[in-house]
Amino acid sequence: MDLIRDCLDKKIDDRFKRRMGRVDGIVLEVEPGRPPRVAYVEIGVKTLMNRLSRRLGTAIAHLLESRHIESAPYRIPWGKIKVGVNEVRADVEAEKTPALEWELWLRKKVIGRIPGA
Amino acid sequence: MKKIVEIALGIVTSVGGFLEIGSITTAAQAGADFTFQLIWAILLGGLCIIFLVEQAGRFSAVSGRTIPDAIRERFGFNYFAFLYIVLALVSLLVLAAEIGGVCIALELATGIYFQWWTVPAALVIWLLIWKGTFGVIEKGISVLGLVTLCFVVGAVIINPPWSHVLRGALPALPHTNPVHYWFIVVSILGATISPYLYFFYSSGAIEDEWNEGHVGVNRIIATGGMTFGSVISIGVLILAAMIFAPQGVKIEHYTQLPQLLVPVFGYWGYWLLVASVGIACLGAALEITLEIAYFTAQGFGWNWSENQRPKDEARFAAAYTLTIIIAALVTITGIDPLKITIFSMALTAATLPVSIVPFLFLMNDYSYVRVYRNGWFSNAVVIAIISIAFVLALVSIPLQIFGGS
Repeated sequence: MDLIRDCLDKKIDDRFKRRMGRVDGIVLEVEPGRPPRVAYVEIGVKTLMNRLSRRLGTAIAHLLESRHIESAPYRIPWGKIKVGVNEVRADVEAEKTPALEWELWLRKKVIGRIPGA
Repeated sequence: MKKIVEIALGIVTSVGGFLEIGSITTAAQAGADFTFQLIWAILLGGLCIIFLVEQAGRFSAVSGRTIPDAIRERFGFNYFAFLYIVLALVSLLVLAAEIGGVCIALELATGIYFQWWTVPAALVIWLLIWKGTFGVIEKGISVLGLVTLCFVVGAVIINPPWSHVLRGALPALPHTNPVHYWFIVVSILGATISPYLYFFYSSGAIEDEWNEGHVGVNRIIATGGMTFGSVISIGVLILAAMIFAPQGVKIEHYTQLPQLLVPVFGYWGYWLLVASVGIACLGAALEITLEIAYFTAQGFGWNWSENQRPKDEARFAAAYTLTIIIAALVTITGIDPLKITIFSMALTAATLPVSIVPFLFLMNDYSYVRVYRNGWFSNAVVIAIISIAFVLALVSIPLQIFGGS
C-alpha cells in the first residue's frame, strides 16, 4: 500500500458508515533498530494546519487552547483502520469520538435551536 | 419519457446557473461598446464551459465523487487549501454581486434604494436553502429563470442585421479602444467560465444520485444547457448593440438595463427585465452559496446534502449561513453592484488556472473514471482551455486597471 496515495486525505467512515472526516495525518513510530511502523491516523485541524506550516499549526493550537478548546487531533490506532479503494473505514463509533465534536456542538448549541432545523 | 423529462429539466437547470448578473452585464456592455464584434467571446466561453461541465458531470456520475473531493484526495491538503481560499474569496465577491443584482431588481420594482433590500434578499436566499430541498432550488428557481428567454425573443423581434451578427461570431481585432475591447473579452470569459458552475454541477450530480447510466444524459444536458445559456447571452448582446450602441450609451449603472427591453416590449419590457435580473440573480446566488458550502464540506470531509435537515448536517448548514452573512455584509456597504460584478468577473478570470488544471489529471485517472477517461480530443480541449485560462490570469488584472473604466 502507498500510504500517501491510498490513505492520506481520503474520506474516513466509522463502522456504521457514518462520515467522520478525512485522514488529515498519518503517524509513524520509529524505534531504534526496527523499521518504521504506522501507529495512527489523525483527524484534526491542528494536523491540517501543521501541513500548511508548523507555525500556523502552533498558532491555531494556542488560539484554541486559550478558549479552552481541545486542540490535539483525534488519533485512531492503525489496527482499527481498513483501507479500501478511495475510502478508509475505522472500526469505531463516530459519535462517541472527538471527530464529530464540532458537528454535535453546533447541532446542539446553534443550528438545532433555529426554527425549522 | 422519464429520460426526456430529465434532460429537459437538466437543460433548463443548467441555463439557470449559466445566466446571472455577470453574464447579463458583460454581454450588455459588449453590445453597447462594440456592437456585434464580441459575439465570438460568448461562443468561446460557452464552448469552454460545455467541456468543463460535461467532464465535471461525467466524473461525478462515474466515480461517485465531486471534483473538490477528488482534488483534496489526489492533490493533497495544501493544494486544496490554496484553491479553497482563492475560490472562496472570488465566489464571495460574485455572491455579493448576485445579492446586489436581486436588490437592484427590487429597487427597479419598488423605487426603494437597493441597499435597503440587502437584508430581506439575504434572508430569502437563506430561507430557501434552509427549508428547501436540492430539487426545489435546482429546478424550481431555474424554471422561473425561463423568463430570461425574453432576451432571445427581443433580439429576434428587433431584427438585427444578421450578416453582422454572423460576422461577430468570428474573432476579430478591435477597430477602436483595444484595451477596453480585451477587457470586455476577459470579463465575458470570466463570467462564462465560472468555477462555481462546474463545481456546483458536480455536486448536483451527486445530489441527484447520478451513476454511469447518466453519462449520455450528462453530455446532452451539459451541451444543451450551456448552449441555451450562451444563446440568451447573445440575445442580451444583440439588444444592447441595437439599442445602446447607436445612441452611444455606455452602461454605467444598472438603472440603464430596463432600456434593453422597453423599446421592444414597451411597458412590459420594464417588468420582464426586472423579473429576469431578479430571478437570474436569485438562482445564481442560491447556487453560489451552496457551492461554497459544498466545497467546504467536501474538502474537510463533512456530511453534506441539501436534501437533509439542517441539524443533521450542522457544519454544512453553518457554512452556508456564514457565507450568506459575509456576502450580504459586502453588499450592504453600498458599493455599486455593477463595480463589484465587473471586478469579480475579472478576478474570476485571473484565478481560473487553479481550478481547471486538476481536470487534466482527474479526467485521466483510471481509479476514478475508469473507462470513461478523457480521449485525446477532450484532453486537447482541456489543454487549450488551460492555455486560455493562463493567458486570462496574466492579462485580467492589468486590463482591469487600464481598460475597466
